[in-house]
Amino acid sequence: MENNNIIEIKQVNRIFPTAGGDFQALKDINAGIPKGVLTILKGRSGSGKTTLLNIVGALDRPSSGEVLIQGKNICKLSDTEREKLRRTSIGFVFQSVSLIPTMNAFQNVEFSMRLAGIKEGRKQRVEECLKMVGLGNRVNHMPSEMSGGEQQRVAIARAIAPRPAILLADEPTAELDSAMAAEVTKLFQEMTKTENVTIIMTTHDTGLMDAGDMVIELENGVQVTSE
Amino acid sequence: MLRVMLQKLWHKKWMVLCLLLGSMLLVATVVSFPLYRNAAFDRMLTDEFTNHLAETGEWPARNEMVTISKKDKGGKAISRMEEMLNGLCGNLGVNEKEKIYYYLIDKKRATSTMKRNDVGEILLRIGYLSGLPEHAKMSYGEMYSDKGISEDGAFEVVVSQTTMVSANMLIGETLEFDSFKDKNGNQIRVKVVGVFEEADRSDFYWQVKPDEMDGICLMNENVFRDYFIGEHAEKYTITATYFSLFEYEDIRAKQTDKISEYTTWLKEESPFRSTMKNLDYKDIIDSFEKKQDRIQATLFILQIPVLILLCAFLFMISGQMYDMERNEISVMKSRGGSSGQMFRLYLYQSIFLTMLGVCVGLPLGTVFCRILGSAQNFLEFNITRELAIEFTPDVWGYVIGVICASVAIMTLPALKHSRLTIVKLKQSNALRRKSLWEKLFLDVICLGVAIYGFYNFSKNSQALVEDVLQGKSLDPLLYISSSLFIMGMGLLFLRLQPLLVKLVYGIGRGLWKPASYASFTEIIKNGRKQQFIMLFMILTISLGMYHATVARTILQNAKDNAEYLVPVDIMIKEQWLDNSGSVSSTSGTSTKKEYSEPDFGKYSKMQGVDSYTKVINDTKATVSVSKDKANCTLMGIHTREFGEITYLPEGLQEQHYYEYLNKLAAEPKGVLVSRNFQSLHGLKVGDSVDFKDADDNAFTGKIVDFIDYWPGYVPATVELDAEGNVVKKDQLLIIANIAALQQKWGLTPYEVWISLENPAETDGVYQWIEEQDVHVKKFTDKDSELGKVEEDPLLQGTNGVLTMGFIVTIILCGVGYLIYWIMSIRSREMLFGVLRACGMHKGELFHMLINEQIFSGVLSIFAAIGIGSVTSKMFVPMIQTAYAASNQVLPMQLITNQQDMVRLYGVVAGVMALCLLVLIVLVFKLNVTKALKLGEE
Repeated sequence: MENNNIIEIKQVNRIFPTAGGDFQALKDINAGIPKGVLTILKGRSGSGKTTLLNIVGALDRPSSGEVLIQGKNICKLSDTEREKLRRTSIGFVFQSVSLIPTMNAFQNVEFSMRLAGIKEGRKQRVEECLKMVGLGNRVNHMPSEMSGGEQQRVAIARAIAPRPAILLADEPTAELDSAMAAEVTKLFQEMTKTENVTIIMTTHDTGLMDAGDMVIELENGVQVTSE
Repeated sequence: MLRVMLQKLWHKKWMVLCLLLGSMLLVATVVSFPLYRNAAFDRMLTDEFTNHLAETGEWPARNEMVTISKKDKGGKAISRMEEMLNGLCGNLGVNEKEKIYYYLIDKKRATSTMKRNDVGEILLRIGYLSGLPEHAKMSYGEMYSDKGISEDGAFEVVVSQTTMVSANMLIGETLEFDSFKDKNGNQIRVKVVGVFEEADRSDFYWQVKPDEMDGICLMNENVFRDYFIGEHAEKYTITATYFSLFEYEDIRAKQTDKISEYTTWLKEESPFRSTMKNLDYKDIIDSFEKKQDRIQATLFILQIPVLILLCAFLFMISGQMYDMERNEISVMKSRGGSSGQMFRLYLYQSIFLTMLGVCVGLPLGTVFCRILGSAQNFLEFNITRELAIEFTPDVWGYVIGVICASVAIMTLPALKHSRLTIVKLKQSNALRRKSLWEKLFLDVICLGVAIYGFYNFSKNSQALVEDVLQGKSLDPLLYISSSLFIMGMGLLFLRLQPLLVKLVYGIGRGLWKPASYASFTEIIKNGRKQQFIMLFMILTISLGMYHATVARTILQNAKDNAEYLVPVDIMIKEQWLDNSGSVSSTSGTSTKKEYSEPDFGKYSKMQGVDSYTKVINDTKATVSVSKDKANCTLMGIHTREFGEITYLPEGLQEQHYYEYLNKLAAEPKGVLVSRNFQSLHGLKVGDSVDFKDADDNAFTGKIVDFIDYWPGYVPATVELDAEGNVVKKDQLLIIANIAALQQKWGLTPYEVWISLENPAETDGVYQWIEEQDVHVKKFTDKDSELGKVEEDPLLQGTNGVLTMGFIVTIILCGVGYLIYWIMSIRSREMLFGVLRACGMHKGELFHMLINEQIFSGVLSIFAAIGIGSVTSKMFVPMIQTAYAASNQVLPMQLITNQQDMVRLYGVVAGVMALCLLVLIVLVFKLNVTKALKLGEE
């Protein structure tokens, strides 16, 4: 069973030293996430979802425990190796709009492919991804000329374009209305199938729980359920 | 509101510090201008008076009035004059030094009562000189008594040595006037009680020297008044001379208007106009005012670019600060804050910051002023004479002005922002417009005006020379066109820079690494934001280079010229005694003047002397050319010694200076003559030329060559004729062998030209003059001549203003660029976070930022260097003409001091390095998760 999981989270703890003593953001988290599923990471604000996502995305390191991605312990990788991992295997979508303001939709998406070192077939892939998120007709628009939902969808296209194995989305729907949020979630569901990508998405929106193949719920840094 | 404001300021302390720095520098720069101007003008005015005193030996601050009172009933003429004299200094607003009355009754015949047979009748004038007992000492006899009348009823009088001799008087002798009666009808008798002389020869009281008082008997003032002035004046003819001396050192430059005005009135309109005689001070003040106007205008114009930069700096920083607060403002606005409230908040903030700036700026201004006053060269200071710094009302006027300006500039950007609501903010963010200057073609306009100015002035440099000579204030365009040129070129560069970036980007399209790619899109799309700072950099560096060159060129050319005009360390012309006094001129036969030579051996005893040579330097010689007689200067030299002691810059003439000397040495009867003998009179080498010295000794010389330049020689002078037109006068020069001249003419007065071991050590020379009791007729000290150049307020002020401007702009540029970069990086922190999360490593971020720096900062620097050197080449010669028009002999040389450039580049490199350091720190401190506001919960 273990070998089928693309992501393996083992006994992960994260302690932040603060002025008032250590704060345990995550406590003994364990989870195995199989390839190609959409996992919802659920919990209230401050429950530690983003911290966990950062650790899985190689942006942060756990205080103890380990995270295996495709069988490799990412916590033991050097910074450069982690950057390489992020470039090639992990895509990010952030809560607030995070497009590069000086690039249009096409360039934004293409840029992630440039970073991943992909040289061939970039144009085709960018168009494909933008079409996938429903923005095939807004290729040349600048971020400032698009709505929040559109920008978020460009961000998703950007994350998916280099064909990462894993897509991490931190509250991607938080700033969107519920119809738009449902649409984005639906897009993620489709992507798990069409792109065979493993997606972890954090949310505090209970309405979106059903969309996931798997739900991990956190409460004050402690895992409550894992399906 | 105050709390809100202070809190807001505390949050942005770096920006606030920058604003403080800006307003501080602005206040200091603005204030230092009138401070320096007032102090330097006071100093200059005093110098003008002192120079006059040194040149003429006369007290320059003097009014002299003469009136003759004849048959004046009640003596009104004299009492009116006395009344006027009493109020004169008060009316002029000056401090009185000395007031002298000198009254003389016309000549009367007198005979000695001693019945001497060695004297007959003599003509004598009696009178009185105020203050005589205090200023005279008695050579023989005694001063008249307080009573003034001797026991036998005669007036006690004192006489000068001259009178004593010419009238052959005896002390104690009584003389009787035959037809000269007193108020009671008695015959007037005078008793000679003493012979006086000056107690102190250098006392300016002696406006009339005792030597000049021939046949004059001076008596007690009270007695004179009692007998001859007032109701009795009617019977006598009295010549009344008045001298009013005042302290020139106390006169301030700002008083000159009043003095000049009152003097003009006295001279031209007042009832006393016919009595006014020597008014040297009026000429001094007039020439001072002319110079003052020119200096004031020049210094002010030179400051303009710096002031503009300072204002732009304030505007930029406050604009940037408000940009950072845009969100806050728009949120507050959207929540119901009124525009007025927002505006007031910023107004108070500006006032607060400006006031703080003033507190530091005023003392800093006095420091600036001192620095200005000690400027010796560009970026060189040496305090030789302290300036008297004073906060006069006009300085406070400047302070108020600069406060208003500073507040306005800081508040202005807020006006725009205070109207902003969040909706408008979003809208304006989406808009990308062309800058106003691009649409107005400001670059083209600036360049057009500048180039017009350039052609206009370089074509009409003669007109420029005339304006300078006539003391007209020069066309500001002369100064401004260089700044406009820099501005225009800078803007043009900004217009072209995006195209260049696109070109580079296009060339390497597809090959660029992600980091370069990201930076190019940033520059192309967001470059406009950087235009201001880029323009700022360009202006700073180009102006810095240009000003450095201007300052160096002006001063160095002035110094070179002074060195050329005074070619040796010391030139002494002694007083030569001749036989003219003893040879009777009435005999009709012109006798050859014979001189006795002062001891030449004493020169070997001079301390610190290196070598010396005799030079005949006769400026009143004449030459016969084309049947005309023309004035010329004759120089008789000992070729080897002269060559060793003097110096002529190389490359001025076809041949080396020594070649000419050698030619002269080879031909005892040969002469070197100035080029204008060839150009004006058509003479050629081998022709003979007849000339005479001032004493009419003739000589015929053979021309061995023509010279264009010669130590101390001015080929042509430009001066104003009576109608104020500029006239060019060619000056002829003949150089001959001194030995040949003296062989023909016998002993001829010469000057001694001396070079010292240490040219700056002239004390020994003065001491030697004193010890050897040398009677100096003319003395020139090169060191002090060069000192005059350095202390010339126009040159010193120019150096000072340009140096201060340079330092201020360097500070601004450094701080401005740094702040701009920090802000630009800070504002993009989130973007960097995204890039990092996408897998970009720190090195790539650097790469990206450095790429941006190269295409904005570094490119600007190179453009600025190019613009700066082009501007210098084009405009410095023009400015130089304006500074050195009248006596510039040597061709102008553009002086660029490598050290200045090294300093400038050093500072720029330092700033860039600092930027890089800040960049490194910021990038390393950049926390991805924080930047993206991840894990904030």
